[in-house]
Amino acid sequence: MLELKPKSACDGLLPLSVGAFSLTEEPVGRITALAPLRGRAADLSDTLSRAHGMALPSVGRATGKAGARAIWFGLHHSLLMGPDPDPALAAVASVTDQTDAWAVVRLDGPGAETVLARLCPVDLRAAVFKRGHTARTQIMHMPGSVTRLSERAFQIMVFRSMAGTLVHDLKSAMEAVSARG
Amino acid sequence: MRITCPVCGSRDSREFQYRGDAVALRRPAPDAGVDAWDDYLHLRDNVAGRVRDLWLHGDGCGGWIVVERDTVTHEVFGATLAMEIER
Amino acid sequence: MRFSGLRVIREGLTGNKGWRPHWRDPAPKAEYDIVIIGGGGHGLATAHYLAKVHGLRNVAVLEKGYIGGGNVGRNTTIVRANYNMPGNSEFYSHSLKLWEGMEEDLNYNVMHSQRGVINLFHSDGQRDYAARRANTMINQGDDAVLLDRAGVRKMAPYLDFDNVRFPIYGGLYHPRGGTARHDAVAWGFARGADSRGVDIIQNCEVTGIDIENGAVRGVQTSRGAIRASKVGIVVAGRSGQVAAMAGMRLPIESHILQAFVTEGLKPCIDQVITFGMGHFYISQSDKGGLVFGGDLDFYASYAARGNLPMAEHVMEAGMTLMPMIGKAKVLRSWGGIMDMTPDGSPIIDKTPVDGLFIDCGWCYGGFKAVPGSGHCFAHLIATGNPHPVAEKFRLDRFRTGVGLMDEEGTGAQHNLH
Repeated sequence: MLELKPKSACDGLLPLSVGAFSLTEEPVGRITALAPLRGRAADLSDTLSRAHGMALPSVGRATGKAGARAIWFGLHHSLLMGPDPDPALAAVASVTDQTDAWAVVRLDGPGAETVLARLCPVDLRAAVFKRGHTARTQIMHMPGSVTRLSERAFQIMVFRSMAGTLVHDLKSAMEAVSARG
Repeated sequence: MRITCPVCGSRDSREFQYRGDAVALRRPAPDAGVDAWDDYLHLRDNVAGRVRDLWLHGDGCGGWIVVERDTVTHEVFGATLAMEIER
Repeated sequence: MRFSGLRVIREGLTGNKGWRPHWRDPAPKAEYDIVIIGGGGHGLATAHYLAKVHGLRNVAVLEKGYIGGGNVGRNTTIVRANYNMPGNSEFYSHSLKLWEGMEEDLNYNVMHSQRGVINLFHSDGQRDYAARRANTMINQGDDAVLLDRAGVRKMAPYLDFDNVRFPIYGGLYHPRGGTARHDAVAWGFARGADSRGVDIIQNCEVTGIDIENGAVRGVQTSRGAIRASKVGIVVAGRSGQVAAMAGMRLPIESHILQAFVTEGLKPCIDQVITFGMGHFYISQSDKGGLVFGGDLDFYASYAARGNLPMAEHVMEAGMTLMPMIGKAKVLRSWGGIMDMTPDGSPIIDKTPVDGLFIDCGWCYGGFKAVPGSGHCFAHLIATGNPHPVAEKFRLDRFRTGVGLMDEEGTGAQHNLH
């Protein structure tokens, strides 16, 4: 019998490291889009808290922690990353599996925001973009999502089909920043 | 030019796509007649000065917003989510 | 005062003391037969042809600022007749023929240089379209040559032919296309009109249009009222404001289009070259600067300056097509105010007001149209009938849906062209 083997979005592209920076594919597990039904955002937040232990994130924020995280992902739109979605969520939200739709990478290194500063038109410095902050913005010219995971690490997402371009652009920026010493 | 998204705050204009005069929010009834549809689709005040136009924050939150700005100076005064505008 | 080689030599040997201003600076009279609002390329050409072709000399051109200070002085100077659609095709063909006789007609050096235009294509589909467009051009009586890769390489060896994403398959070559000295076109037409008695009145802003019983009676200006039974509006990006003075709304949105020029370089780009996979086109001016541009910024604007995202896009497209220009330094950039119609084609027509005519909607292609537009607008004003090559440029085509000329095939709606 034919056996299909799953390949991740950045299979064959990552990991890589340049200077003090590393770029790895983030094994986030299941990705589920949650869009609250009209007027049910509070109910969705309650359900999410009960089922998965995190509130629905407010605009520009992430909740939860590695392995079970929710990130704000646009107007009236969040992503649950990690656990299989509790069936109860479907009563208060549109629930859509997005697991294989996104390339998710982790950029790690001291001053990682200096790499992203070359690619993103938003201010990602720690003073204004703290741990748990997230933004929908451009990475180079691609629409994507940037979330600060720690003082020195970001999670970056673009559509899966753009994984190669994302890695190329991040690698170029890592090299350019590293070359400055 | 930076545009203040009512959801995301001040952002570079490159994250937005322009969709013209906010007249688009006042779609005539299907049977409103040729004049009303011509007016809606084609005719524009084309103001040199303060305007309200429709933008999509496509590379941001995805919200449709009505931006108040000046077409002569490129000053942006503010923006409102289109879904929150009474029609 | 006529220009000639002998005259140049004589003046050169006698201290250049014999030159006179190219046009007068008259005060506005109280009444003219015809008032043209707008002293840009199209308005001045209209006045020239009114006087020359139709013998109508009691004409004033009213210009808010100085002549040639708008789009005719803020473009990339490209002249071509390579349109594909009926309506446009015959008009631009007509206009190019006027270009070819313009210097003799005006006794003025507009530095019209028929260096050829190459529209590159990068796929089989684009090649098919180019072949079809070439046939349209040839059927129109113009010239077109379908170049293969080797043919393009011979003319422009510096292009990146094997770019992974956008390999060059060939080009549609239009040998009679080229460039001209943009300011000189305005000056030449101004001189031509002035020499036949047309008053060119600068620093004269129209502030109102007088209409009685549905007919135009004249205009109000910053230099007083002027009576006229025929008024032509030809004000490009400002069409909306002037039309509003006559109570009209137009199918026009004014957008910003940027262009760029590098420092002067030795001759390296011999033709006008357009990229087929990104919005980028380039030529080299006689001073040596590489003059290039791209697409609209894509938002309504009267600022005459653009923003960086489109500048970046244009530079990236340029670097993709011809990596060598990365060494050149950009000297200046500028923006023009484009009067965009929903289908991307112009309007030369009567208005609902008797005696009031309008010539507008040239989008980002007005420069090549200067003589054709002036010629046809003058014909309309003088005879009351559209010129045969411009009869499809109807104001009401959007309302009726009949005769739309959507050259790009993107749809006849705003913000698509």
